[in-house]
Amino acid sequence: MRIFTVLGIIFYATVIILIGVSLIIFSLNLLGPQDIKNACDYLQCNTNSRIMLGLSGFLLILISFSFAQLILGRFQREKTIAFNTSSGEVTIALSAVEDLIKRLGKIIPEIKELRPDVIATKKGIMVDLRVVLGSEASIPELTARLQELAKSKIQEVLGIEEQIIVKIHVAKITTFEERDKKKKESDKEEGGSIPYSGYGRA
Amino acid sequence: MHRDETRTELGMIKIHKNVIASIASLASMEIEGVKRVGGDFKSGILELIGKKSNLAVKVDIDRNDEVKLDIPLVIKYEYNIPEIANRVQENVRQALEKMTSLSVRDININIQGIDK
Repeated sequence: MRIFTVLGIIFYATVIILIGVSLIIFSLNLLGPQDIKNACDYLQCNTNSRIMLGLSGFLLILISFSFAQLILGRFQREKTIAFNTSSGEVTIALSAVEDLIKRLGKIIPEIKELRPDVIATKKGIMVDLRVVLGSEASIPELTARLQELAKSKIQEVLGIEEQIIVKIHVAKITTFEERDKKKKESDKEEGGSIPYSGYGRA
Repeated sequence: MHRDETRTELGMIKIHKNVIASIASLASMEIEGVKRVGGDFKSGILELIGKKSNLAVKVDIDRNDEVKLDIPLVIKYEYNIPEIANRVQENVRQALEKMTSLSVRDININIQGIDK
């Protein structure tokens, strides 16, 4: 962990602890409203203390901004895969890799639903796949095929040689009967919802 | 908005950043495998309010009149991304040098999505 991040965490922890301690002191009646008023009066009357207070406020805003930028920048950096070419940098959004994997779901008919989640780490690319399969599918065979397909497709399209780990979670298995039943039910509901729908004009 | 300026005997020639962005956008679209220019959040908002997609291309010109471009792209499915990115970079560089005589420092490609 970088020293700046550690300092930032210590700073925010200190501020939050101070707020917490102040609230506890206030609730225990160790510090009355008059004491707070006196302290505020003292800070307001003295020019030096006002300058110090203003500068501290400005410094706090600066620290907060730089810390937020550091965190957001890191998040943004982790959301892409980047490599350099002679003409500049090429970054690939992880959502683009997710789009690519979603397309694979359409190739294999046994996959009814596919939700990918791609994370780029130092170890390589981690792909988490949440799938809904048809009951006709052989799970070990299909998952192995899907893992191999996802891995080879990512390597082929992105042109990277980093390690790709594909994890599959079978969330649900849908059956033909289940689907037919659902369809029939929905048809029935649609038909039954209209009163006197079976009657025609004579 | 900064413009690239060139002084001639008759006067000044200014090239607007949007012109550079348009050239880069058109040159990118020439490459087979590029679905569209844009695809990031900013260009999505611009498209919603009816602005052209070339505004998605970010153009920076430094003090030495060197151009730096950031091009967000959506690539077609089944195409190799590094290969497409390389071809886009080369085509954009050639088009800009041919049309504006500007020297291009960096052409950063940002792949935002994959589409059919």
